[in-house]
Amino acid sequence: MKKRRPDFPVLWLMVFLILVSGFYACGSREKAGEQKASSARYKVAVIPKGTTHEFWKAVQAGALKAGQELGVEIFWKGPQKEDDRSQQIQVVEDFISRRVNGIVLAPLDDRALMRPVDESMAEGIPVVIIDSNLQGDNYISFVATDNYQGGVLAARRLAEVMSGKGKIFLIRYLEGSASTTYREQGFLETVTREFPGLEILVKDQYAGTTTESAYQLVENLLSRYPQVEGIFAPNESSTFGALRALQDSGLAGKVKLVGFDSSEKLIQALRQHQLHGLVLQDPMKMGYLGVKVLVDYLEGKPVEKRVDTGVVVATPENMDQPEIKRLLEPEVKKYVR
Amino acid sequence: MKKEEHLRKLGGILGPFLGLLLVLAIFSLMPEISGRFLRLANFKNVAIQSVIVALSALGMTLIIISGGIDLSAASNLALSCVLVAYFIQAGFSPWLAALLSVLNGGLIGFLNGFLITRLKVVPFIVTLGMMGMARGIAKWVAHNQKIDAPITWLNSLMARSPRPSWLLLSPGIWLMIIMAVVVGVLLRKTVFGRHVFAVGSNEMTARLCGVRTDRVKLAVYTISGLLCGLAGLMEFSRLTVGDPTVAIGLELDIIAAVVIGGGSLSGGEGKISGTLIGVFIMAFLRNGCTMMGWPNYFQEIIIGAIIITAVALDRLRHGQE
Repeated sequence: MKKRRPDFPVLWLMVFLILVSGFYACGSREKAGEQKASSARYKVAVIPKGTTHEFWKAVQAGALKAGQELGVEIFWKGPQKEDDRSQQIQVVEDFISRRVNGIVLAPLDDRALMRPVDESMAEGIPVVIIDSNLQGDNYISFVATDNYQGGVLAARRLAEVMSGKGKIFLIRYLEGSASTTYREQGFLETVTREFPGLEILVKDQYAGTTTESAYQLVENLLSRYPQVEGIFAPNESSTFGALRALQDSGLAGKVKLVGFDSSEKLIQALRQHQLHGLVLQDPMKMGYLGVKVLVDYLEGKPVEKRVDTGVVVATPENMDQPEIKRLLEPEVKKYVR
Repeated sequence: MKKEEHLRKLGGILGPFLGLLLVLAIFSLMPEISGRFLRLANFKNVAIQSVIVALSALGMTLIIISGGIDLSAASNLALSCVLVAYFIQAGFSPWLAALLSVLNGGLIGFLNGFLITRLKVVPFIVTLGMMGMARGIAKWVAHNQKIDAPITWLNSLMARSPRPSWLLLSPGIWLMIIMAVVVGVLLRKTVFGRHVFAVGSNEMTARLCGVRTDRVKLAVYTISGLLCGLAGLMEFSRLTVGDPTVAIGLELDIIAAVVIGGGSLSGGEGKISGTLIGVFIMAFLRNGCTMMGWPNYFQEIIIGAIIITAVALDRLRHGQE
């Protein structure tokens, strides 16, 4: 029989080298913040729904800002795959094992994350919920946008630019999406209560998750109801889809459009008066207050069970004011590399 | 000669095992988490996180040894997870809901095997199709959302601390251990197990020797499907909701576990113990990276590198034979 090379050590040597080099890479990167880390009073894990979306970058910037100001070491870690409930549960469990001082969590699911949060609270690791709600109330505080109020502001803005009368669409986002449902509800109730001059032509059509599906929906609605004069869309993708449909049919600027959340393209449209209002959340403030509330709790200060991070409307007129500009283009780069 | 053969077998399992020890050693030497990583509580935590991948990887080991592949494993798992929630919400008893969803997993597996043996289409294509179909059915059943089912005893199967405390480990972990022993015995100690190896090594020869290869394949895919159904049940227990989008891409983790553990994609090779070690290597890497607060891309790169080296090794071993 031929003499065999002992092959398996080769594999594990490689793995070892990868790990060691990774360790050094991470170590050297963290060196800058080392004095900080060693003097940090608390270690706090901040767990978003995903890590690649702009919105979460702004939340991360806010959390890191709070970390710098309050002397807290921040672990920023989302599920490996965006929107994977099972992996977000794992991340929470791993931080319980790590015994961080507290967890700030944006739950992907109002129900599936209940048990890990209960376990964390039971182990004496307080949890602050941000962005989206969690069923029950076994957490320290809920820090989020008042989405209903966002819908109310959108309705008032649309009525303002249409002088209180005309025919409008309410484009819905997705069945079962809690935050956008509140926005739609706030919009609908405000229109029926405060602006009898506005006639709602469509209020039960869902745009779906992509810009493409929203685009098609609005295109179809425009050919069915050419008399429409105003549109409200409850999130970024549906706003952009509606904008694209209006641009293609040459109606951009003529049909009044109010949307939600910002992006580069939407800011441009706002400047060109093709978009007449954008309701803005404050994700940076959400990240900042999430950590701040948690630290207050750890220090024994009283905390509110519900913290509102506020909504404002950006318009072509006010978009260059510093406090609106800050929300349209959050200064993420200052805190996130 | 006999001794050398023995040594080679030992080497095959020793490699992955040393790898696992290495991963454990590295993380327990990290000063930030050294006191936390090597704790019984954390080991239980990682064991629970491994249950779902491990159960499906047991079936995948059988399939890979028989020379096949199952890309539909994760979709099958998601469908079963949705079905449990659906049946419970429809008022079925938890027992019945669990049984039906596991059986459905078996049915999907049986269909895979049936199409592969009857249509003579390669497993890659059949299970690729089934991957889309099972995922689609799961979304259909759940109306493109998640299903909130009332909490039942099923949801305590994967709790970190088991309900009757004399169990010591959560029922999910026991299930993983029992199923690993059952499949291990099936593979090593039965005629059926010998046949699985024979089909994977050389199907033609096996057939000429009187092995009913189609039946063996059908059984292998059905057993694997049942295990995926069981994994889906465990996923439901963990999530407490039926989520049709759960475990997207998990089939690749499952296949990776088998391959890291010494399974060969050209068939005829693979070990249950190796597969479990593969599962634990990946689970401990995830756990350790998270505890360190390392970014996700870093752990993805490490796991990717491990898979490539493991397969390169597999080729190397084959080249020498």
